[in-house]
Amino acid sequence: MINNITLRRVLPRVFRGSETETPVRDSEIWMREEVTFSRPGNYIIEAESGTGKSSLCAFIYGSRTDYDGEILFDGTPASSLGINRWCELRCRSLAYLPQEMRLFPELTAMENIRIKNRLTDFRTEAEILDMMRRLELEEKVNSPAGLLSVGQQQRVAIIRALCQPFDFLLIDEPVSHLDARNNRTVAQLIEEAAIAANAAVIATSVGNKITLREYELMRL
Amino acid sequence: MSKNIVWRLLRRNISAGQLAGYALANLAGLAIVLTAIQFYRDITTVWDDEDSFISNDYLIISKKVTGLGSFFPSGDADTSTRFTQAEISDIASQPWARKVGGFTPAAFNVYAKVDFGGNALQSALFLESIPDDYFDVSPEGWDYTPGSTEPVPVIISKDYLTLYNFGFATSRGMPQISEEMIGLIPLRLSLSGNGKQTWVNARIAGFSSRLNTIAVPEEFMQWANREFADKPVESPSRLIIMLNRAGDPSADSYLKAHEYESAGDKTDNGKAAYFLSVVTTVVIAVGAIISLLAFFILILSIYLLLQKNRRKLHDLMQLGYSPAQVSRHYMSIVVAINATVYILAALIVICATNWWSSTLSTLGVQGTSTIPTLLIGLAIILLITAVNLLVIARKTRAAFR
Repeated sequence: MINNITLRRVLPRVFRGSETETPVRDSEIWMREEVTFSRPGNYIIEAESGTGKSSLCAFIYGSRTDYDGEILFDGTPASSLGINRWCELRCRSLAYLPQEMRLFPELTAMENIRIKNRLTDFRTEAEILDMMRRLELEEKVNSPAGLLSVGQQQRVAIIRALCQPFDFLLIDEPVSHLDARNNRTVAQLIEEAAIAANAAVIATSVGNKITLREYELMRL
Repeated sequence: MSKNIVWRLLRRNISAGQLAGYALANLAGLAIVLTAIQFYRDITTVWDDEDSFISNDYLIISKKVTGLGSFFPSGDADTSTRFTQAEISDIASQPWARKVGGFTPAAFNVYAKVDFGGNALQSALFLESIPDDYFDVSPEGWDYTPGSTEPVPVIISKDYLTLYNFGFATSRGMPQISEEMIGLIPLRLSLSGNGKQTWVNARIAGFSSRLNTIAVPEEFMQWANREFADKPVESPSRLIIMLNRAGDPSADSYLKAHEYESAGDKTDNGKAAYFLSVVTTVVIAVGAIISLLAFFILILSIYLLLQKNRRKLHDLMQLGYSPAQVSRHYMSIVVAINATVYILAALIVICATNWWSSTLSTLGVQGTSTIPTLLIGLAIILLITAVNLLVIARKTRAAFR
């Protein structure tokens, strides 16, 4: 269980030496003394492309470590966690939608979701089918993920991310390929799940923001 | 069904050809190594068995008898066939010789009398003694205390019993006797010389195939020589040498250079044994090299597979799969292949052992158990498997981030 994620003077290594230049100078996250995300709560991190928002998600999710400064989970440095602890967090506390989705193209949409759910055993088959229906994927259940459109893949990946208990949901540009209608249904689904889990949602955006009802906007 | 999703992802890029190549190569290597080890062990039991045809870590040497000198007992005519102290210590200092012992001959007259149910057999005899370490048999009660009434133990050459049983007894209608029975036959020895004569009881305590003589304990010989010898016993004319290594060719050339003769043709067996051990070592080395190469094939194949599937492994771990969960499938393949290889290699060893054991048993050789060889094989395959699993585990963890 994680209640707070705190960033202390975090800076991607690629920005080393340019602390006084844009984008780091104007950032509300990079190099700040202390930035804390607490649950429950919704955060939208707005950024221009190339300012490191995917890096931020990857740092918090533990899949990249090329940063200076410290990321703390309730005071524990993320850098001190072992592989097994990370795997546990990724099943119980941290849900993540990577920008590039990382679906397995040879598996069907349903199998891509099941491969996560069999690990957590969090959703029933009926719940998964219901979510797919709400995101208008019911006809694609058995299509290989590689044959889906990018927007469809994005929705499959969102459902997959929701197939686990979580304290924080990291969604990296979740609606970049969705129209306004789909944006709303996705946002609804995510808000429901977050409320049920009393969790925080951290979403990034380059312009097309997910339509959460309440959120704190931060500029990266 | 859902359990197979991960496997369906990860089995991509597994090359059945590479794995089959590894399995065959490792099977060949392991089978060669284990069969050679088992063969070597079977043959060396022949070796350790002191009584056997290939027993050769002892050498009995004497000087060549030349001319007619020994026919004319004119004083010290036979000194030319005796070994001097200098010659003995020269032999003892050779690198191939571990120990040298001399045969002490009896310098008095010996008559033996045997009573078999009314048939008395009487014959002139000779006796010799050598230090106890050199016997291939160690019969019970092999010692003698002067003045004791216990029968003197005697060891005779196995050839003598054969001669008696198949040459003498059959033609004379006398009973054939077994090794066990012969110990029960009462034997009386008459010792005379130096103006004295006495009877002592004796018993045949054992048979030697190494010593072509009639041997008594050294203590008895020393006592009897003191009592009955006309003149002090001179240096030995036969030596027994314990060799450092069976069939050492340098021993052979030394004997030739000094014109010594070795008893029987055991040095030829020694050469065969020496050659056999060299050949076995070469075969084991070849098998080991094949196994080692096979092992590298598998390691390379694993590296290639994990490298090709690295992205999938990474993505699965991003979803929360632990390295152990994703590598388990590859590990079970490796374990299954190695277990199969081991079982097949063990079967080959057992079949090969059965095949040659009938041949060996006609030579009077009992093979040894295959279990130690199979345990060696198990240790090898476990080691290979452990390294394989370690590589998989490390490679998977490397794909974690």
